[in-house]
Amino acid sequence: MTKIQRRAQVLLAMAALGAAGMFLGPDGWFGIDIGAIGAAVLYGVLWLFVIYLAKYSGQVFPEHWSPAEKQSWVAVAFLALISLHVANMLFALPGLGEAADQVKNPATRALWSNLGLLIFGWIVIGTQLRRQDTGGVQLDERDLRIQHRAARVADGAMSLFIVWVIVTIFALPEQSRSWLRPMIVANALIALLIARALIESIYTVWRYRRHDGRQDGHAEGREEGRDPA
Amino acid sequence: MSEFAVRNRIREFRQSRAEMTQASLAAACGVTRQTIIALEAGKYAPSLELAFKLARALERNLEEVFQYAEKI
Repeated sequence: MTKIQRRAQVLLAMAALGAAGMFLGPDGWFGIDIGAIGAAVLYGVLWLFVIYLAKYSGQVFPEHWSPAEKQSWVAVAFLALISLHVANMLFALPGLGEAADQVKNPATRALWSNLGLLIFGWIVIGTQLRRQDTGGVQLDERDLRIQHRAARVADGAMSLFIVWVIVTIFALPEQSRSWLRPMIVANALIALLIARALIESIYTVWRYRRHDGRQDGHAEGREEGRDPA
Repeated sequence: MSEFAVRNRIREFRQSRAEMTQASLAAACGVTRQTIIALEAGKYAPSLELAFKLARALERNLEEVFQYAEKI
């Protein structure tokens, strides 16, 4: 692992720490709002990562990863953050009572701006990665085969989850369904679509890891260095 | 139950050709170098179209490059 990759890992670890503080940290710990500090750390480090990627393009990710594999890892990171934001909002909604039926409520106040920032960051990093491989093949038949398989797995998982939710809702006693308000159901459906995309991305990177065989990749990379250019 | 596998001699034929790196073979076939790595390591079976492209780039017959082997 190179020094640039180690620094990138430190940045990602700091972002993960910030995310943990943002989603799990208490609001009033000795008078300090850990959630707000975590959010500042997360978004600050994410932008540092964008700058770092722009400065050291091509050296942040392992050399033996394909362009599509790099994009899949970026998708996993951003979809995980988006999922955490949406899950946070969903858990807060039932406690709001009738206020949950309004489009703008305390649970969704900061959500859309945070999601906007994340999607913008995702687009910027994705564009930088595509620029690194200008002129080369970005997506070939192996990538497409992995992506098709991942889409099938994600569709299957979503179908099973929907069936489970339907059965659970019908099994609940009527008085226990009072929290099922229209806006909560609408937001839950959005969360379901995001969860499907996250499952697809996680399965994709898992297939790449299994498929490539890390040891083979490293060995071939070394061999490539000896090959005539 | 028997299991079938397609084996290949891409690495052998590529190394026998001077100036042919994984990257240049990948460029000739329109795939990424990582796909050539996966093929040479026997971790990926290509489509018929890619198999023909590889054989053509290596200037070999398809059956020289790819062998259909039966594993029990």
